[in-house]
Amino acid sequence: MTTPAVQHAVDAAFREEWGRIVATLIRRTGDWDLAEECAQEAFAEALRRWPADGIPQRPGAWLTTVAGHRAIDWLRRGARGAELLEQAGREVLPPPGADEEAMAELSGQSGAIEDDRLRLIFTCCHPALPLEGRVALTLRSLAGLSTAEIAHAFLVPEATMAKRLTRTKAKIAAAGIPYRVPPAHLLPERTAGVLAVLYLMFNEGHSASSGTELIRASLCEEAIRLGRALHQLMPDEPEVRGVLALMLLHHSRRHARVGGDGQLITLEEQDRSRWDAAEIQEGLALLESALRQRQAGPYQLQAAIAACHARAATAADTDWPQIAGLYALLERQMPSPVVRLNRAVAVAMAGDIEAALALVDELSGDPRLARYYLLEATRADLLRRRGDQAAAAAAYQRALPLAPSQAERRYLLSRLQETSTGDGRDDTLP
Amino acid sequence: MKYVVFIGSEGLPVPEALEVMQRELPAWIEEMDGRGVRLLGRELDLPETAVTVRVRDGETLVTDGPFAETKEFVAGLDIFECADLDEAIEAAAKSPVARYHPMEIRPFAAGLRLGEAASEFAREDDSAGTPYLLTMWMGGTPAAPLDDEAVMREGEAWRRDLEARDLQVLGGALRGPDTATTIRVRDGQTLISDGPVIKTTDFIAGIDVVRCADRQQAIELAAAHPIARHHAIEVRPFYSE
Repeated sequence: MTTPAVQHAVDAAFREEWGRIVATLIRRTGDWDLAEECAQEAFAEALRRWPADGIPQRPGAWLTTVAGHRAIDWLRRGARGAELLEQAGREVLPPPGADEEAMAELSGQSGAIEDDRLRLIFTCCHPALPLEGRVALTLRSLAGLSTAEIAHAFLVPEATMAKRLTRTKAKIAAAGIPYRVPPAHLLPERTAGVLAVLYLMFNEGHSASSGTELIRASLCEEAIRLGRALHQLMPDEPEVRGVLALMLLHHSRRHARVGGDGQLITLEEQDRSRWDAAEIQEGLALLESALRQRQAGPYQLQAAIAACHARAATAADTDWPQIAGLYALLERQMPSPVVRLNRAVAVAMAGDIEAALALVDELSGDPRLARYYLLEATRADLLRRRGDQAAAAAAYQRALPLAPSQAERRYLLSRLQETSTGDGRDDTLP
Repeated sequence: MKYVVFIGSEGLPVPEALEVMQRELPAWIEEMDGRGVRLLGRELDLPETAVTVRVRDGETLVTDGPFAETKEFVAGLDIFECADLDEAIEAAAKSPVARYHPMEIRPFAAGLRLGEAASEFAREDDSAGTPYLLTMWMGGTPAAPLDDEAVMREGEAWRRDLEARDLQVLGGALRGPDTATTIRVRDGQTLISDGPVIKTTDFIAGIDVVRCADRQQAIELAAAHPIARHHAIEVRPFYSE
C-alpha cells in the first residue's frame, strides 16, 4: 500500500532525480530508450518497496542503483530475458544500497552526476536535431514529462509526439551526435542553442490559450526548473542567469495578465499587486549579478527591459527612456525588425513621437513585416497621438485585415471609429 | 564513423567564389587528409551530363538529366571518417566550399571498404576507366513491391560482381534522410540544420562509384541494380580535366 508520505517522497524524488538518473544511465549504456525505461521502473519499484522498507535516506542514490541494475539485467539478458524476468516477479533486484560504487558516486561529490545532466541537455539541444525534437526530448528525458503530457502541451496527437521523440533519438544514434558537454570553442554557440530551447519552451507555455492553459502553463514551470538546473551547472555563464531572470520576470505576471474571461490584459492595465513579488526579487537579483559581469547578451537585455516594467509601481512610473536605450542595444546584438518596432514604441512612450515615426517608416519596406499587423497598428497609434487623425485612420484600415484574432480586430475597429470621428486625441498609447 | 558529404549547388559558382575555393581548397584538403578525416573527395560534372535510369517490365528506360527536378543538385562529394558528427561538422565548415555551398553530412549505413580502386579515384588517376556516380534514389511509391532484405542481398551480389570485373570503386547504403545534417557558413558562423540539401519526398538511399569505358556501360551497370527496377538511379560522370 502506498501511503501519502511515500507518494509524496516518490513525487519529490521524481522531480529532483529523474533527469539525473536518465542522464547517468545514458552515459553508462549509450541507450536512451533503455535509460528511460529503467528510470521508470526504478520509480515504480520505489512505490512498491518504500511503504514496507521505509523511505531511503538518499532516494536519488537508491533509485539510481535500482535503475542501474535494471539496465544491467536488460543488457545481460536481452529483451526476451527481461520479459521473463518481469513475469518472475523481479526477485533478482538488489537490495537498496547494495551497489557500493554507485552509492559512492552518488553520495558525496556529485561532480560526475552533474556533468551527466549537462551532457544530456547539450545533446538534447544539439543544433543538428529538428527544433521541435529538441524541445520534446528535453522535456521527456530531462524533465521527465510523459509523451502524452508533451503531446498535450504542444497540441498534437500523442502518436505524432511519440514519432517525433523516436526520430530525434534515432538521429542521435545514427548520425553520431556525441553525448557530451561541447569543448570550449563550441561552448558559447551551443549554450546559446540550449538557452533558445528553454526560452522557446517557456514561450510555448506563456502564450497558452484558455482551454489548455493549465497544462501549457506547466511548460513555463518546467522551463524555469530546467533554467535553474542549468544555472546550477553553469554558474559563471551570465546569459544563463539572463534567461532565467527573463523567464522569472515574465512568469511573475502570470496571475495579472489574464482576465476572468480569459482575455489577455495589457501590461499597462494589469493589477500590479497581483505580480509575484518573490519571483520579481529573484529575477532582479539574478539579472543584477549577471550584468555585473559586463557581458550583456540578448537574454540579459530582454530581462533588463522586463525589469524596468517590474520595478515600476504603476504604468506611469515606467522608465521608458531606459527601455528605449535597452532596445537600441538589443537591436545591435539581434538585428530584427520586431525589435526595432518595439524600440519605436519605447521611443514614443519616452516622449519622442517624431523619432518613433521615423523608425517605423524605416521598417515600411521590410518584407518580413509585410503581414505583421503591429507595424501598421503602431504607426496608426503614433499618428493618432500626433493628432494626424486621417492618416491614423488609414493606417488602422491597413492593419485591420492583418490582425490575427478577434480581440485585436475589436481593438483596431474601436480606434478606427475614434479617429474617423475625430475623438481620442489625448489618449496614450495602448 | 564514415560519412558522405554532399556538396549542394544551384549552378556555376560566381568567379569570385571559384577563385577563393581554388586558392584555399588545397590547404583544407592537406589538413583534413593529414588528420585522417577526409578519405577522398571529387567534383561531379554538371547536372546536364546526368541521365536517370529506370527498369520497368524488363526494359531499361533512360531519361536525360538528374533525377530530382529541384534547383539544387549535388555538385561533388567527400567521404569523411570522424569520431562523431561534431567532428564532421567542424571539418566541413572549415572548407572554403562551405562559404558558398550547403554541405549535407550523412552517415553510411554499414562499413565502407576503400581499396586500391578508391585510392586511384582519390588521386584522380582515371586510367582504368571514367568514374561515374550512381545515386540510388528511393522513397515515393516504388514501381514494384520492395523487399528491403532482398534488395540488399541483390545489391551486395551486384557489387561483388562489379568488384570481380574491376569496375567497382566504392559504394554503400546510407542511413535515411532523417539522419542528414546540412551546414552552411555565413559571415564566419556555422549554421547547422536538420535534413538533406535536396528536399523532396524521394531521397538518396545509397551511392556507388563505378569506373567504365563509357557512359553506355555505366547505364548498363545501373540497370542491373535492383533499385533501378523499384525506383531510379541517377548516373553522372565525375569531373576531370
